[in-house]
Amino acid sequence: MTQTAGKRPAEDMAQVKLNVKWGKETYNDVEANMSQSPLVFKSQLFALTGVPPDRQKVMIKGALLKDDEWGKAVPKDGMTIMLMGSAEAVSVEAPKNIPKFVEDLPESEQEHLETKRFGAGLHNLGNTCYMNSTVQCMFAVQPLREALYAKAPGSGGDPTGRLVAATAELFKDLETGGAPFPPYAFLMALRAKFPQFAQQVSGVYAQQDAEECWTNVMYALREKVKDDAGTAVVDKLFGIPTRLTLKTDESAEEFTEDGMSYTLKVNIEDKTAHVSEGVAVGLREERERNSAELGRTVLFRGATTLTGLPPYLTLQMMRFFFRRDNGQKAKILKKIPFSLEFDAFEFCSEALKKELEAPRAAYKEAQDREIEARKLAKKGPGAAAAPAPAAASSGADVDMKDAGGAGEASTSAPAPSSSGPTKKAMTGKYELVGVVTHKGRTADSGHYVAWVKQPTDGTWVCFDDEKLTVRSQEEVLALSGGGDWHMAYLLLYRAVMADVPVEGAAGAAQEGKGVAEGAAAPAAMEAEGGGASA
Amino acid sequence: MVAPSDEKPKGKGAKEDKKGAKGKDEDKEPELSEEDLALKNNLDLTVERLGDADPGVVKLALTTMISEIRSATASMTSVPKPLKFLRPHYDALKSRFESMPAEPAENRAMLADVISILATTKELAREVLKYRLVGSTTDLGIWGHEYIRHLSGEIAEEFRVRREADSAAVVDDLMALVKQIVPYHMTHNAEPEAVDLLLEVESLDLLESHVDEKNFGRTCLYLTSCCAYLPEPDDAAVLRLALRIYTTQARWHDALRVALRLNSRPDVEAVFAACSEPPAKKQLGYLLARHGFAMNLEEGPAAVEDDALRESLLEIISNSKLSEHFLALARDLDVMEAKTPEDVYKTHLTEGRAPAGAAAVDSARANLAATLVNALVNAGFGQDKLVTPASGAEAGGGSENVHWIFKNKDHGKISATASLGLVTLWDVEGGLPQIDKYLYSTDNYVVAGALLAIGVVNSCVQNENDPAFALIADYVSNTDVNVRTGAILGLGLAYAGTGREEVSELLSPLVVDSEAPVEVSAFAALALGLVFNSSAREDVVMSVLQALMSRSDVELSTPYAKLMCLSLGLLFLGKQELAEATVEVAKTLSDRISQFAVVTLDSCAYAGTGNVLKVQGLLALCGEHITTDESTAHKTSHQGAAVLGLALLAMAEPLGSQMAGRVLEHLLQYGDAPARRAVPLAIALLHVSNPDVLVMDTLSRLSHDQDSEVANNAIVGLGLLGAGTNNARLAGLLRGLASYYYKEPTALFLVRLAQGLVHMGKGLLTINPYHTDRQLCSGVALAGVLSVLFSCLDLKATIGGKHHYLLYCLAAAMKPRMLLTLDEEGRPLPVPCRVGTAVDVVAQAGRPKTITGFQTHATPVLLGVGERAELATEEWLPLSPILEGQVILTKNPEYVAMDEGK
Repeated sequence: MTQTAGKRPAEDMAQVKLNVKWGKETYNDVEANMSQSPLVFKSQLFALTGVPPDRQKVMIKGALLKDDEWGKAVPKDGMTIMLMGSAEAVSVEAPKNIPKFVEDLPESEQEHLETKRFGAGLHNLGNTCYMNSTVQCMFAVQPLREALYAKAPGSGGDPTGRLVAATAELFKDLETGGAPFPPYAFLMALRAKFPQFAQQVSGVYAQQDAEECWTNVMYALREKVKDDAGTAVVDKLFGIPTRLTLKTDESAEEFTEDGMSYTLKVNIEDKTAHVSEGVAVGLREERERNSAELGRTVLFRGATTLTGLPPYLTLQMMRFFFRRDNGQKAKILKKIPFSLEFDAFEFCSEALKKELEAPRAAYKEAQDREIEARKLAKKGPGAAAAPAPAAASSGADVDMKDAGGAGEASTSAPAPSSSGPTKKAMTGKYELVGVVTHKGRTADSGHYVAWVKQPTDGTWVCFDDEKLTVRSQEEVLALSGGGDWHMAYLLLYRAVMADVPVEGAAGAAQEGKGVAEGAAAPAAMEAEGGGASA
Repeated sequence: MVAPSDEKPKGKGAKEDKKGAKGKDEDKEPELSEEDLALKNNLDLTVERLGDADPGVVKLALTTMISEIRSATASMTSVPKPLKFLRPHYDALKSRFESMPAEPAENRAMLADVISILATTKELAREVLKYRLVGSTTDLGIWGHEYIRHLSGEIAEEFRVRREADSAAVVDDLMALVKQIVPYHMTHNAEPEAVDLLLEVESLDLLESHVDEKNFGRTCLYLTSCCAYLPEPDDAAVLRLALRIYTTQARWHDALRVALRLNSRPDVEAVFAACSEPPAKKQLGYLLARHGFAMNLEEGPAAVEDDALRESLLEIISNSKLSEHFLALARDLDVMEAKTPEDVYKTHLTEGRAPAGAAAVDSARANLAATLVNALVNAGFGQDKLVTPASGAEAGGGSENVHWIFKNKDHGKISATASLGLVTLWDVEGGLPQIDKYLYSTDNYVVAGALLAIGVVNSCVQNENDPAFALIADYVSNTDVNVRTGAILGLGLAYAGTGREEVSELLSPLVVDSEAPVEVSAFAALALGLVFNSSAREDVVMSVLQALMSRSDVELSTPYAKLMCLSLGLLFLGKQELAEATVEVAKTLSDRISQFAVVTLDSCAYAGTGNVLKVQGLLALCGEHITTDESTAHKTSHQGAAVLGLALLAMAEPLGSQMAGRVLEHLLQYGDAPARRAVPLAIALLHVSNPDVLVMDTLSRLSHDQDSEVANNAIVGLGLLGAGTNNARLAGLLRGLASYYYKEPTALFLVRLAQGLVHMGKGLLTINPYHTDRQLCSGVALAGVLSVLFSCLDLKATIGGKHHYLLYCLAAAMKPRMLLTLDEEGRPLPVPCRVGTAVDVVAQAGRPKTITGFQTHATPVLLGVGERAELATEEWLPLSPILEGQVILTKNPEYVAMDEGK
């Protein structure tokens, strides 16, 4: 192992044959002339291996061969020596853009780094959790953000305008993300526009109803934020065209009433066991009305049907009611389970139902494909890529930001029936993207919190004033009530779209793709709405 | 046989004293069979006749008595009938003996014989011996095994009593008996009894002449096994005896193991030189390689004349084929594909906390953890997915294509570059070219890492061209501190255990150079400790001591000073009393460090001896309650070393380590913080790469301790506990910890590290210094593990701070836990073999099975902790009696194939 000085070869041996090991390769019997400088030998090695002499490291028994003298490292005949170095120049210079590390950031940023991409928390400014949660939930509606940024009026103007401008500002701040901040400007604007939110009880601002806040802010936005055609963006995103049909048993009289609502009420009765049932109850209507035929007031019964579907559907759990006996707003704590998917089909008008059939079939097919792909992926890793594009059509496409990408995605995974152009169509199915929950026994007390599914990666994040926490789907489903835990009050659903082939005009597809950049979802909505009214 | 059954009536008597035990005895009498009754009467008569005045009658009576006693056969459960019937006459016989005239001596002697054997049924003070000594001098064997056992026991007792009274007491009479008993034991499968007796009478030398080829195996097995329970210097004496026996019997592999255990270079070299058969010699070479024992084959006592043989032996001892063999195992087990840190973390299995996903900003800490995990999990495989792919570096500027090394911050780059070394571990020819280019980097951290990587690649492997020395030597005196430490540690690892002169020449000046940063000095000392471990080299010891003397108090309060002390300890590893002089010097050091140095030296010197006095001394230190404030905090620092020392002393055998475990549990309850903090590390040291469920639970509990330092050490401990085992339970536990500590960067970093350790080498490696059936402790491996453990005493400043690269010291301890069978030419030879839980067969009667619950595999196979392998074929004969590591097989000349017989 150790080579000692005593074993040095005879000095007169001018010509020696060496074996040179270079990585895994070996060159046998390389002749080296000991009377010449080692540089000559290195040049020989250069000829053999292509490693330039200045990058050569020749190792002989624990010593590096120098250029000018053999020194201690005198090789003897038949010895194996080691050469290190690579033929082509390799640079291992540090990259110019040195990565930035969390540890380099100021502490305040480090703390919120994990949740930065989800937005920011909002400080509670004295019983303003109702507002914070409402805002966070609204912020989840991507198209609304975009529209606001594009169309919000500048500051100044009437209180409504100021509120809308404040909303836009607030959304921009939230989008930056990071550390929590106090939404002063927005609160001022809100209270200026809607003085009821400035109500005080013994010198302290009172707790307010989140739904009221939601509706009022929506109202203000509807006034001010309009698209190029002059339609209110809120109408396009949240407006639910409805038709109330009333009949009476006593005569053949029947009349209808068209309207527009922005939320579906979930009425809670003793028997209500699921959100859908509550919606059905909420849509039912009984009305005493003067009958022209009978000439007296009779009881008309009927129900509201949806004649169009919005990209975003808001459900309100009618948990609060006013108790006459003690003059308080009471709360129903009953457990009303909801699911991550809401099917509005049963509440649609016949015409709309017919229209939905094709997209629903397409959607089902797409889902089947997805399941199939997943099975395949389980079997072999080669198929692993398949589910990803298929998943693209299942929901995330409604986002304005993703719309462009989704368009590509849909072409990359064309419906098997036709490879022609496709368009997005409503399926009547909705997926849950936001929940505003209330915790507490009465409406005037307790705490509001927003739970939002992130459009980017589908994580659920709970926005509790300044705190952001990542939650699981199961935890969200546990918000159905029946205890003292947070329970859902407002449910925000987003439409699930399906790719359907465009029939006839290819131009329509072109148009569809054109708007995809700006406002794909509203455009789709318009198409739907048009179809419904036709 | 007799003694227990003697107890029985006694016990009954005690219990039923008041009920009238006598009455019961009387009840029994009529039950006697006719035959028994005749015998009883006959014996009663002989006792009566003893009183006769005629010596002839007395003699006849005695002869009858003796023949009755000898002809009786004892069963396991009952006293031989004649003894039973004679027992009541015991006192009568004794008084008769007293009154018997001295002439004829024959009668007196015979009566003494009878009394002596009767005494075995009584619990009396050495009466068996007393009457034996005045008895006849005929062959003792005729009285049977049980009698001899009794006698042996009393001889030992008598010997002790006499020696206690007077250390020069005459024991010739006893020795005469011993000389009769030992041959009897040795020829009657009772070798352990013979050894025990000789140990008691301090005449072990008598044993050797009675050992032959039939009983040497059991004798030596007992000798080597009991050595762990013997005090100094008996332990070495039994080993020397075993060595002599094995050498006489030409059992070279056994002899070499004993010689290595003795840690005596002359013996090892002598055994190695004495073994002349090339294949057997090669097998010895594999043992030396596993042990990390460097040997000069070119000159000196172990020189090998034959060039070809020397070449192949060199290749074996230098571990050149280790990489190849390890990869053969990996291929056979189909685990070649590189793993990523995420494969180890398995974040999708952690509950609740969703992964941060594509966080916008890299965390240097998380990346460093990933670096180390990646290095550990792919250790020795030569490929990974982070550092070996070159694309990143060559693409250079691309924003998303930054090479992984540069995704680490500052000192993190040292570890990242050094991880190349761990990934290509043992593969000098394949690894060095990949590392070479980083030596040209302008980033000093990268250069430092590359130097360390060179050392890591070469650890436990010696290449004839000594590339490590050639490449590293010049950097040792670099201006950059990091480059220097990297180079120094690299040298230390590359030459760990080799005792290379050049390394000492290069590093000793750095150790004593008080101008150099203390950090450089300490790393140089540590490197020397690794290279010259267990050599007690005076010049090196002097250098380290000098450094400790010349440094200021401030410098001695740093964790670096502790590394210097450890280096002293490593130099004396297992050297026992040789360390005493140095301990005395250490006592005179500054009070900042002197106690720490003394404790470290002492516990390293007695590592694995289980020395009770030392354990007591350490316990006393651990138990002290020292009140300190900010300025005197150093006064407790030795407690951590003392706790580790406890484990170090007790780690050799299971009983000792269990006891140490209980002691440590006490320290947890009652010890002060400095002692408590080291407990998890000590527990880990006792169970390195041995994931015992109970130990795991203890450490898991500690990993949630309120004292964050205890918790951190427990996390590291969990990693070491399961190092290289892929233990699923442990992996799950660590995943839980990862989500528990997700907010605490240091703890999370350590959890990641522990996860990496558990999956080290994809579960194919071990860092347990004990190898070859847990008989031998590799000093190099122990040094590697200790380096990490001692750094953990200041975890926040070392592993958790910027010296995380100290972890690479584990490379010195990493070894495949495999059985690979080779043919005589060194080619892998798959044969069927059985792998099962090892059974302790020491001093067991007959030929007990050595494994239980086995499964049959084809080699190469993986061996778990406490598992043993045996060949499942008669076709081949292993050249090593212990199937571990690389084993050469030879054809069995007597083998007849099954189908030929049909």
